[in-house]
Amino acid sequence: MNLFTTTFLAAADPSQAEAGGPAASFGVSVSGIIAQVILFLIVYLILKKFAFGPIQGMLEQRSQTIADAQANAEKIRAELASTEKRIDQMLVDANTESQKMINEAKESADKVGEQRKQQAIVEAKSIVDKAAVAAEADRNEAMAKLKAEFGRLVVATTSKVTGKELTGADQERISKETASELTQ
Amino acid sequence: MLASFTNSLPSISLAAVDQKAVAPFEIAPYLTNSVVVSLAVLVFLLVVARVVSKNLQTVPTGAQNLAEMAIEKLYAFVEGIVGPKIAPKAFPLLATIFFFFLFANWFGLLPGVGTIGTGHTVDGSFHVTKPLLRPTAADLNAGLGIAFVFMIVWLWISVKEMGIKGFFAHMFAPKGTSTNPFMNSFLIAVFFGVGLLEVVSIAIRPVSLSLRIYGNVFAGENLLHAMGHLGYELGLHHVLSFIMNCLVPVPFYFLEILVGFLQAVVFTLLCAVYIQLSTTHDESH
Repeated sequence: MNLFTTTFLAAADPSQAEAGGPAASFGVSVSGIIAQVILFLIVYLILKKFAFGPIQGMLEQRSQTIADAQANAEKIRAELASTEKRIDQMLVDANTESQKMINEAKESADKVGEQRKQQAIVEAKSIVDKAAVAAEADRNEAMAKLKAEFGRLVVATTSKVTGKELTGADQERISKETASELTQ
Repeated sequence: MLASFTNSLPSISLAAVDQKAVAPFEIAPYLTNSVVVSLAVLVFLLVVARVVSKNLQTVPTGAQNLAEMAIEKLYAFVEGIVGPKIAPKAFPLLATIFFFFLFANWFGLLPGVGTIGTGHTVDGSFHVTKPLLRPTAADLNAGLGIAFVFMIVWLWISVKEMGIKGFFAHMFAPKGTSTNPFMNSFLIAVFFGVGLLEVVSIAIRPVSLSLRIYGNVFAGENLLHAMGHLGYELGLHHVLSFIMNCLVPVPFYFLEILVGFLQAVVFTLLCAVYIQLSTTHDESH
């Protein structure tokens, strides 16, 4: 208290200092200090229990919630990126596979088309050949008929021109000669 | 003119008034008018703390939002000075000091504080000599008591952080050594002397802390008191005096709101700095 006394001397009223000391002139008393200390400590306990503790707890809880949310968001973002990468890979694989299938189908179609084409060519050739054979046969038949008719006409004409009945041998010889002349 | 005006201004007692002198509060010698204000601040802070923390929500609104912002800013302020390690230990006390003085100082600005009480009539004007209420910080006992509490906590935090040996070494040990034995002895002697000065400085802290806030708040009370009586003291017509006495203190009220806040900040800041000074680890230790 000597320290206070020294300090207070400068500010205190001299008459009061003489009466009860400078500390007394400022109303400094042990009971006054104790009363204020007790009230202050009660305020301290009240604020610590009802204000600082719960509010700081809430602030920490909120910080933790935000940190967790950020961590979750980061995790979700990483998973999303991974999923997107996987989907992209799947799309690439699917594209490759579909392109492969398209190529195979195209090749297969080309092959089948070629086969059909060759088959059609063969069939067309066969039809043409058959038609040619039939036409040749018809021509030969027509030619034979023509030769026979022409031979008969030549025999008839010869018989009329000569006025004599031709024998079978003559008729056959004339027909052969006529036929040979027609062939030439 | 000025001398007579100054002499005729109503004066405020340097000391808080024992409520025994103010009927009907004949309860106890320690129940001074400033203790009554401290009690009112205590009740106010209790109510505010309960209202704010009764139903805390994850998404804050209203009072919770304001309280969270105040505590968060104050914690960052304390942490910025004492560091993240000491802040959890020091914060509750420093924050209590801040809020207690802040609301006690602002409570002192309420109409009726310092102006309602017993007194006597001088030249037809009633002068209150024993007010019913007095701002807490305008009682030196409050500043001293809180400063003593702080010093005990400061000692506990410092010793816990530095250890008893480290605590004394922090004050007395030389900072650095020399290859010259004579120089080493000289340094030891110099730093021992510096340590003694440091001890005196530490011992004077409760006094400097309490006198600073007492002086500022007491001066503010006097200022408002003088401004509130200016019209009468200048001998103006009573209507003009009344108007003047109502208007002139207004700007000073705003000033005192600021001073009340600043004094709470300064008290808290100095306490935080004292903790920081005694818990800083020197490289040489």
